[in-house]
Amino acid sequence: MFASPSDHYATLGVLRDATQEEIKRAYLEAAQRLHPDKNVAAGETELFLGIQQAYEILSNPKRRAQYDATLPPEVQVDNKFIRHEVFYSRPSLVQIKEDQLLYILLEIDPSAKQSGSLPAPPLNLCLVLDRSTSMQGDKMDILKATAIQLMRTLRPQDVLSIVSFSDRAEVVVPASINLDRRKQENSIQMMQPSGGTEIYQGLEAGMKEIRRTLDPSRVNHIILLTDGETYGDEQDCLLLAEEAARQNVGITGMGIGSEWNDIFLDALAGKTGGSSVYITEPKDIEKFLVNKFKSLTSTYADEVLLEFKTQEHVRLNFAFRLQPEGGQVEAVSPLHMGPILRDTPLHILLELVVTPSALDNEDVLLLDGYLKASVVSQPLPVPPIRLRLKRDVFPEPKAEPPPTRVLKALSRLTLYRMQERAQSAASQGRYDEAAKHLQNLATHLLSQGETGVAKTAMLEAQNLENRRAWSASGIKDIKYKTRALLLGSGKEKPS
Amino acid sequence: MIICSNCKHANMIGALFCAECGAQLIGRDTLTTQSIATENLKTASRRTTGEMSQPVEGENAWANLHLLDTGQVLPLSSRNEFTMGRISEGQPIMPDIDLSPYQAYAAGVSRLHAVIRRNGAAIAFMDLGSANGTFVNGNRLTPNTEQMLNHGDILALGKMRIQVLIDKK
Repeated sequence: MFASPSDHYATLGVLRDATQEEIKRAYLEAAQRLHPDKNVAAGETELFLGIQQAYEILSNPKRRAQYDATLPPEVQVDNKFIRHEVFYSRPSLVQIKEDQLLYILLEIDPSAKQSGSLPAPPLNLCLVLDRSTSMQGDKMDILKATAIQLMRTLRPQDVLSIVSFSDRAEVVVPASINLDRRKQENSIQMMQPSGGTEIYQGLEAGMKEIRRTLDPSRVNHIILLTDGETYGDEQDCLLLAEEAARQNVGITGMGIGSEWNDIFLDALAGKTGGSSVYITEPKDIEKFLVNKFKSLTSTYADEVLLEFKTQEHVRLNFAFRLQPEGGQVEAVSPLHMGPILRDTPLHILLELVVTPSALDNEDVLLLDGYLKASVVSQPLPVPPIRLRLKRDVFPEPKAEPPPTRVLKALSRLTLYRMQERAQSAASQGRYDEAAKHLQNLATHLLSQGETGVAKTAMLEAQNLENRRAWSASGIKDIKYKTRALLLGSGKEKPS
Repeated sequence: MIICSNCKHANMIGALFCAECGAQLIGRDTLTTQSIATENLKTASRRTTGEMSQPVEGENAWANLHLLDTGQVLPLSSRNEFTMGRISEGQPIMPDIDLSPYQAYAAGVSRLHAVIRRNGAAIAFMDLGSANGTFVNGNRLTPNTEQMLNHGDILALGKMRIQVLIDKK
């Protein structure tokens, strides 16, 4: 036996049926990382030459065909970097004349060989801090203290930049590796709250700083901290977040108090596979920032994408990340599923609607696509994993219980979605309906032993019935606590 | 469709939790819903007692079973005999009508409880040696002995009460 010769497709990190367009894109991405003008590590020039050679062959249809003829048939080899498991809510589909639902739980973790041996990745982090007038007092003081504390805990290889914004942005600490720490601490202390809240200003300046030290072998991330609503620039912010996602920059939104727009912050962070965080009290700012910092340094892959072709008779209704951070994932291809941490695998729950016209064959192709992970501190592209999810069709339903992990995850997710239904009903003025949803939610929360949130839900249901309004803090509390219940719900025993 | 026994919301087949009220739709020991025609399944008005409001019935059915506790109507059509019971995990017993989505276990329905059969215009009903017994209008049946049914009779499988609605076209 001899070691198999390197496969040009694997080298570029594309599938064998990749289009010329995909091959070109993969080549450009890899070449950017490994170009001899930029690379520093020993051996990277050789990697670059390998990529160059692979591209020369695959980009030429004639040479590609010749090369394809020499390849052994494609076998799904174990991916060296990530492992995935798929759980279905039921073993088969039923032959019926109406739409039916199927749930799929996708679990993705680092493959055992890799996870332990890699060094913790260096960070390229930017804090984008709201310094509008409302931040005055405790919030600003604690924020300053925490920022300074974070500066002091940085490792030599980390980069931390800080941008503050009101209706315009200011770079407080520029992105750079060697900084005079004392001087930077001074400028943090000098931040003075005043003015309005224009998130786009802050994000744009933050992206600028991130780009200075943008590097695929780092975890590139923006943490946005705000306590208010932004007006009129939401659309620009979302476009900027899409651009960030393309450059592999993650965004986390942290909202302090109850006046900020959680739906907007979720959408913003969701574009990059991140989510929003609710900070009730200023004193919790430190805890959340430090935790976020820790989870960023334990990043294994900064983002996992699921690219898929839409099937004609199967609809992806809903996608939700259960962990590492609970959050809705926009149900369009590619799915920005979020990061894999070393100690916390990525769990995604999909809800599919299968229409009767899909049931003509013996089996149904539910989802056809591939998983692509960008593993930090891994210079070569990670080969994508082909994902073809199928179920057989039977005339009779099969009496088999759903896997416990699917049932558990869904039971928790149901709570979260009831909260969403209540929000959407209330926003359309259907207060009684919203109150009913909250009462139902409270009942289920109680039966699961979550007395605290259940009480809040009851209280807000009463508020809706009596005053046709609820408190902004109450409803955020319910949202983020039911979301927190999702963590670990996919496991057999929550840790 | 799966009708939520708690709030009567019609959920898609395959749903595990009610989209409306969040109640779990399937027992932890079974995923099946019902094995008879679903097109004609409609929700009846809640809890008819005595002089009932007529629930919507299946169109081609020779009889309809109206589940009084949960309000569903199960139309019987296409075959002449249906066994009734509940499917449970690891047991090879498969009744034609699985009542487990309607809290059959709690009501004391046996896995193979009873059988309903059409014989021309007459409809016969028989207990299959169930643990908690079968009743017609409150009278317990002798196991394995047929009893003729009339329109409006109230059957009880254990504690699960079902009204028979016979099509007299």
